Amino acid sequence: MTRSLLWKVIIILAVLVGFAAAMIPTADNPEPIRRGLDLKGGTHLVMRVNVGDAVRLETDQGSEMLKAQAKKANLPIPTTRRVNDNTFIATLPAETPATEYERIAKDYLGSFDLSRTPDGALQFKMKTAVQTALERDTITHTVETIDNRVNALGVTEPYIATEGANRLVIELPGVDDPARVKDIIKTTAQLQFRLVEGEPGSTPEAAMTNVPANMKTEVDILPGTREDALGRSAGVEYYAIRKTVPVTGTDLKNAKASKSQMGQPNVAFSLTPDGARKFGDLTGQNIKRRLAIVLDNKVISAPVINSQINESGVIEGTFTPQQVADLSLQLRSGSLPASLTTLEERTVGPSLGRDSIRQGVLASLIGFIALILAVLLFYKGAGVNAVLALLLNLVILLGMMALFHATLTLPGIAGIILTLGMAIDSNVLVFERIREELRDGKMVRAAIENGFSRAFGTIIDTHMTTIISALFLFQFGTGPIKGFAVTLLIGLFASVFTAFFVSRVIFDVMYKSQNRPTEMSI
Amino acid sequence: MQIFVNSKYDFVKWRFYAVSFSVLFMLLGLAMFLKHGVNWGIDFAGGATITLRFKDAVPMDRLRADLTSASIQQYGKAEDHAVLIRLPELNKETDYAGQVVGKLNTDLNPQTTTKLDLNFHGKDRLTELLASADPEAKGTAPAARDYYKNIAQNIVTRRSELGVFTNMAQVTSAPGVTTRIAGFLNDKCFLGAFNVLDQETVGPQVGHDLQQKAIFAVVLSTLAMGLYLWIRFDLMFGASAIVCIVHDVLMSLAFLMMINGEFSLNIVAALLLIVGFSINDTVVMYDRVRENRRKLKTRMSLEEQLNLAMNQTLSRTILTSGSVVIVLVALILFGGKVIHEFAWILLIGVLAGTYSTVTIVPAVAIAWNNLTGRKHDLAGPANRPTRVETKQDVPPQQRKRRAG
Repeated sequence: MTRSLLWKVIIILAVLVGFAAAMIPTADNPEPIRRGLDLKGGTHLVMRVNVGDAVRLETDQGSEMLKAQAKKANLPIPTTRRVNDNTFIATLPAETPATEYERIAKDYLGSFDLSRTPDGALQFKMKTAVQTALERDTITHTVETIDNRVNALGVTEPYIATEGANRLVIELPGVDDPARVKDIIKTTAQLQFRLVEGEPGSTPEAAMTNVPANMKTEVDILPGTREDALGRSAGVEYYAIRKTVPVTGTDLKNAKASKSQMGQPNVAFSLTPDGARKFGDLTGQNIKRRLAIVLDNKVISAPVINSQINESGVIEGTFTPQQVADLSLQLRSGSLPASLTTLEERTVGPSLGRDSIRQGVLASLIGFIALILAVLLFYKGAGVNAVLALLLNLVILLGMMALFHATLTLPGIAGIILTLGMAIDSNVLVFERIREELRDGKMVRAAIENGFSRAFGTIIDTHMTTIISALFLFQFGTGPIKGFAVTLLIGLFASVFTAFFVSRVIFDVMYKSQNRPTEMSI
Repeated sequence: MQIFVNSKYDFVKWRFYAVSFSVLFMLLGLAMFLKHGVNWGIDFAGGATITLRFKDAVPMDRLRADLTSASIQQYGKAEDHAVLIRLPELNKETDYAGQVVGKLNTDLNPQTTTKLDLNFHGKDRLTELLASADPEAKGTAPAARDYYKNIAQNIVTRRSELGVFTNMAQVTSAPGVTTRIAGFLNDKCFLGAFNVLDQETVGPQVGHDLQQKAIFAVVLSTLAMGLYLWIRFDLMFGASAIVCIVHDVLMSLAFLMMINGEFSLNIVAALLLIVGFSINDTVVMYDRVRENRRKLKTRMSLEEQLNLAMNQTLSRTILTSGSVVIVLVALILFGGKVIHEFAWILLIGVLAGTYSTVTIVPAVAIAWNNLTGRKHDLAGPANRPTRVETKQDVPPQQRKRRAG
């Protein structure tokens, strides 16, 4: 064997060992080739982040700010009305000059563009740059929050990514209770502590009757669960709740599932230093009043404040142990800044994944063995060469998938098969050329030489066309199809390597050692 | 084993029969399309699909009464007690499948308000239940939770092996379940009517996006392919290659219409593969035509050139297509339901690709040649040498010496 040939053999063995090593499961990497959701079971979700929610909230806060500052400056309070997500209109009391309010707007509402409506009211429209930044932040914050929640659930290797302007793609392998996981992800979990006016009533009107006249416009009517004497839920009741929100979920430091002395599940929380100060003020100044715990605009419970509370407390309600565990998880991971809408869901149960992989692997194995037999039948000695190249191709393909952390999906298995078809095609092209050369009376070594060089251009062309279609698959495909395209692309590059380099070296090893080989098994 | 050594088939002669056959096949597909329309899968039509595996016989009447707008069919073998439920699109974005599953769960499993359904819920809920009741008195340490989590995991793994639990003995025989835990499970849990094998929801927006993307992908990749071949060969070859791709895709689609198969994302993937793979035979044949043109000094009509190249590459065409067909047949026979239609479409596409290379492509090329004044009849040196060819022109001995 010449020196250069020896080097080539060493390169091939190194490639073989290297990629084979990448496929071997280790302790920290028990699954080197990740199976896709269709093989493993799990949930694929596409959700829209309703960024309008966050914009609307910001607009509402702007109008509250205008009123609060007007009150501070002893001006008559204007009435405000939101006309769409990013705009509100303030109707000014007739006797006060508008310039007073414009000054407030300039000092405190810098994120809004100010204009006059034809009837003399002030129109506040959020600046485009501010709105864009707010929407971007909303998406980022949503991703972080979902990430926290998913991690707290103990999902291994979750995948969360943004797609387009306002969509999220969430992949959760191995999830076996999709309903619960979706609930946990989707609940916005906006927690608020707000004072109750009057007493709860069985209708919204009844709740309003005990509210003092001057507070009627300052309250929201929110529904809550009525509890019977045993703490079980018994229908709906309504609360008149002050619009101001002194303490929110962002003031929480921690929340965990706990139990009352009666054994009733509840959520125990502790507050940040700043939150504790606010909560202390709120509870200290309002002893003997009801404090509503509001979650996503529903009253969870509204206990009477018995004493000042500073650092920690409990949230009681009609909870099951599971609800308490989920709620404390959501409170710990923070609230979502906007609601989510499910656009697409694909959940594959673990047993279906198990069936699919068994059948897919079985079919591929049978196909692969049949392919090997056919190649050996047609090309005898050279067929062994082709089979070796094919096996190496498979090792490179799988090893490469492990290194790139590509996901093996069901169509991906078909992609592997097709790649092997392409690899065989390269060998067939070369071998047919060699046969032709031999038929033309060439010597074995010259025939091999010409066979490879003549087939080269053709093989590049056939691979290029398939690469083009794989690139389009990758660009336009989603989920499993993308995995398939990646498999196909890797396999195509591997096939050029095995067909030209590896098969060639094997022939060289077989025939170069002989001085003048006259016969070739092909 | 060698086949088709020095064959001299007159492929070109058969082209009119072939074109008629293809046209007939496509017309048949068109007729089926006009009769049934496209059986759009959930990926494009939107809506929801749910596959449920029942513990006992499927309560078909109950399901039909509950889900009036759904189409419900048996999934797999009858003794599996599994059904595939398809729900048409709602005109709004919601968690459709999840809601329907939830409704079926409360309808078919009235006990679910008081007990935990072991056929429905996952390991987390079971862990929670076991850890809070603590039947083995392990205390509240994290280790106790892990102990129960492990048992819950074993039970859920057992369920995925079985597909669905049919009796409590199957649950209590899972590894790690002690007598006390078994007693607790018998008391606090029950086996609901079904286990959800899979559920999918595609909202109207996503379905619309996917439809657009799929059309873009197929059309653009076909054009890209034609462009590539135009650059590598010439306009006549590029154009006939595009016709060939369109032909192969249409034949596959016609077949899909005939079996009234579901048009899903996987089918689009199969079509894209056909676009990329079936053109290979054509490329190989054209390569040979070009090579022959360089070598041949005598005058030769395009018909003769094509026949010669097709015969020279015939055994390669048959061998390659044959090996892919072998594998695809294995996929069809053993691959299971999920890839069945995918593999069928690929098979038809590969067969159509092989057949169109020796029939449709020459037909188009010859027609083109006749319309453009038979410019392609003349044999001579290739008018567009490429880098690859210069490499081939180096005598092999020199290259060997260089390499050594």
